[in-house]
Amino acid sequence: MSAGATHIDHIVIASNDSAATAKLFSENFGLEIKRTMSRPGTRAHLEFAKLLEVVIEFAGPGEVKPYDQVTARLGGFVLAVDDIDRAIAEVRAAGFEVGEPHPAVQPGAKIAGVKNGTSGVPFAFIQYNALRLDESPR
Amino acid sequence: MKVRRIDHVGIVVKDLETALATYQRNFGFEAAPGRGGEVTALGIRNAFVSVGDSDLEFIQPVTAEGPAATFARERGEGAFLLSIEVADINAAVEHLRALGSRVGNPVNGVSFVSMRSTHGVNLQLVQRG
Repeated sequence: MSAGATHIDHIVIASNDSAATAKLFSENFGLEIKRTMSRPGTRAHLEFAKLLEVVIEFAGPGEVKPYDQVTARLGGFVLAVDDIDRAIAEVRAAGFEVGEPHPAVQPGAKIAGVKNGTSGVPFAFIQYNALRLDESPR
Repeated sequence: MKVRRIDHVGIVVKDLETALATYQRNFGFEAAPGRGGEVTALGIRNAFVSVGDSDLEFIQPVTAEGPAATFARERGEGAFLLSIEVADINAAVEHLRALGSRVGNPVNGVSFVSMRSTHGVNLQLVQRG
């Protein structure tokens, strides 16, 4: 038995200036930024690129830093599953903690964070087509 | 520079067998047979599992020196390396150097980009096939 992960859905690169890091990866490494999002009421600024099935998410506070003060690192990643409730049940049955699933920013998707049992890597599960579109955050 | 896909994500772990067993039990990931082993030059043991079109590489430092050992000492276990597949590694290295990036010479189709040129992200370029 297992969580039934099908692929890496996205990888997070956390930066203290996510726009600058996204720009660097776009200009130097050829990643095309497909979407940019700033969350109203928060300091979050997200930029997204995609390579085949994997989204690369540049996440940070949306602050502009002097170039030599920009620091980034691999954050965690999100695994796509066909059935998030089953995935959560499997991991919990193995003795590890998983948060409650909640609507993701991706339309129709639910996401849940895995709290341990991942060798120190922040992990989450995501299931697409899990919600009606009117249940997703706008 | 033509980037094809995410080749793999490297995860530093304390114990390779424990990590593989946990990921197999929790996520259903099986170690790819015939891949991985001890890489003396890097001071690591590693193993790979496939997740869709990409892999996870589990890396256990076996010496006190080297990037993986330094990461383990400073941060413990965690996401360590992002590897991207490029169409032509020599062209990619040339392109990046022309932009002022520090990039190692390709060895067996693999090259590492200095973290000074990536805002601190440990980035590897790889050419397959």
